[in-house]
Amino acid sequence: MMEVSTLTNVAFWGASTMTLGFALIVVTQRDVFRAAIALAGSFLGVGILYFVLSAEFVGVVQILVYVGAISVLMAFAVMFIQDVTAGSRPVQGRLVGATMGALILAAVAFTAVNTEWSTMDDITDPIAVAALTEGYVEIGTGDDTTVAITAPAETTELVIENGGVLVDSTGAVGVLLVREYVLAFEIIGLLLVAALIGGLLLMRNPGPGSEAAAEAKEDADAETVGSEASV
Amino acid sequence: MTVENVLLVSAALFALGAYGAVSRSSLITVIMSLELMFNAVVLAAVAFSRFTPSAALLSGDPVTAEAIRSALTGHAFAIFVIAVAAGEAALAFALVFAMFRARESIEITDASVMKN
Repeated sequence: MMEVSTLTNVAFWGASTMTLGFALIVVTQRDVFRAAIALAGSFLGVGILYFVLSAEFVGVVQILVYVGAISVLMAFAVMFIQDVTAGSRPVQGRLVGATMGALILAAVAFTAVNTEWSTMDDITDPIAVAALTEGYVEIGTGDDTTVAITAPAETTELVIENGGVLVDSTGAVGVLLVREYVLAFEIIGLLLVAALIGGLLLMRNPGPGSEAAAEAKEDADAETVGSEASV
Repeated sequence: MTVENVLLVSAALFALGAYGAVSRSSLITVIMSLELMFNAVVLAAVAFSRFTPSAALLSGDPVTAEAIRSALTGHAFAIFVIAVAAGEAALAFALVFAMFRARESIEITDASVMKN
């Protein structure tokens, strides 16, 4: 079993407590604006967890996108909609929700504890270990690319340093995004453009005299007539 | 800190999000709970990437650069999920604004009719 330092453990449990505590405030707080602030705190806690888990790139993306953008979007939405003074009271689904959450927690916890997860200790190839923990260079082009380790692997014993975490993970993620997953990367860009246009279309205020406004008015009139008829 | 610990934190976060999504009355809080669940799933993906080796490194085949990079597939997955969640959040709030404009309310109980 790989040991991690005490500092890492303290950081992990601290960030976990922060994440779950703020998440608890989000789902129990009646004041929607306070819930939005707590949500930013929860996102930040998850960001710290990514750094603790040696996922620096994902951590930075988390802070930029969630803490920076989505939290601001939430706060903007809360301030834009004056209805929030009514608060977010619990509805009748409270007991159902609590039961559902407890069942999900129990199922995942049971699976996590009872599964024999493979660990980094299971890697037996010395070149793979050296490439992960000491860095590697690529030799050749195209399909003939092979891996050479930068440090001479003269030691025969297999020491998995640093928990088997790939050094220079940020650079490797960048290469992954534009090489192995380049199609998904492009499609994500397309998806974001579609979301942008769709959001603008939904938010568009039908101005007076426009075709959409006329249609909306007709619909409203029709509904009025219909409701009068039903009365 | 083991993979079990991180999975437990992730499961607790997901459970809190699921509870919030079902039990709150305001659409905005429901969307916040959805974001919590997104975060829990991404956290689990990063945890697996950190603690479990990729199949390509365990196969015993000659190590290639692709096999080394496959140790970070979880990170790439996390970034894609975050991008999708960002688009989802933008659209969700556009829908909330549209509903508020049409009904002057964002209570989920008022969102029972799709037309107008």
